[in-house]
Amino acid sequence: MSASRRLDALQGAGVELVAGVPCSYLVRFFAACEALPPGRYVAAPREDHAVAVCAGAWLGGRPSLAAMQNSGLGYCLEVLTSLHLMYHMPLPMLVSDRGEPTDYEEHRILGQRTRHLLDLFGIPWRVATAGDQEEEAEWLVRTANEGRLPAVLLVGKEADV
Amino acid sequence: MTRAEAIALVLSRLAPEDIVVAADGAISREAYRSADRTRSFYMLGSMGHVASIALGLALTRRERVVALDGDGNLLMGFGNLALIGGLRPANLYHLILDNQVYATTGGQATLSRQVDLAAAASGCGYPCARRCGPGEDAEAAMDAWLGVAGPALLDLVVDPLDPGPVAKRIPMTPEEIALQVRAALGAS
Repeated sequence: MSASRRLDALQGAGVELVAGVPCSYLVRFFAACEALPPGRYVAAPREDHAVAVCAGAWLGGRPSLAAMQNSGLGYCLEVLTSLHLMYHMPLPMLVSDRGEPTDYEEHRILGQRTRHLLDLFGIPWRVATAGDQEEEAEWLVRTANEGRLPAVLLVGKEADV
Repeated sequence: MTRAEAIALVLSRLAPEDIVVAADGAISREAYRSADRTRSFYMLGSMGHVASIALGLALTRRERVVALDGDGNLLMGFGNLALIGGLRPANLYHLILDNQVYATTGGQATLSRQVDLAAAASGCGYPCARRCGPGEDAEAAMDAWLGVAGPALLDLVVDPLDPGPVAKRIPMTPEEIALQVRAALGAS
């Protein structure tokens, strides 16, 4: 058991490695990641590096998860399209759901278009709740594995449990 | 030394179980033409991410993982030096085929003429990082590079242009490339 029910549920669904860049909406999740054994959490300097690390881990047989703020999706577009989508690699992704009208200006432009962006590239997504982490984790990993593509669980501040 | 010659010399030094990640563009095509291996992953796009894919493999596998990177590629994903230098996977070997130009787009200069890539890797925490310039013994440098504990980086300066015929595109779909590596690693 870690300090994050979200991380516990994802590990229960098969995730063995997390690579990402922290977001203040996901403080509990990233704190639990930092307590993982060496080599099981990769603190990347930028989100696209984290996504590429996950691709290598998958090639080697280790199911992995990329975690980030939704602003990081912008950096990831090239890797997601010409690596994961093109090579048909599964990638469960945990992405913070920022950009509501009360959020700071720097989060609004990309944040309010995150769902459109994912739809544009045919990446399945769902909004997390604070309630059923196990079912959400199972959906995320199954959707990525069965479709062999990236799949996204959008997590608001209240769903970082 | 041409890039194709350097790739052939490196591949001839690897054991069958070693895993290779080859950079998008000419490096992948030349690696395929020189010695196709089921444990070689050929990138077709996502420039800048050779080393991070290799890192994901190195963290996951016990075998040696060799990244065939380019100078333009490394400069695009420069954060990879910090990522690998910080985590220090002992089974990761990072080769820069440094022709100092963006060869596939017409030979425009990269910043590697001004930037010391080996010094940057050392500063990021690679325990072994060295440059092999024109006129130096490239084969001895390769043997030394593969003979130490990783992560080790060799910045190998190669000719800006390859005189030989351009290697053809790899006749596999991206999905076939990925599945071939997964199967060879028993991960499918």
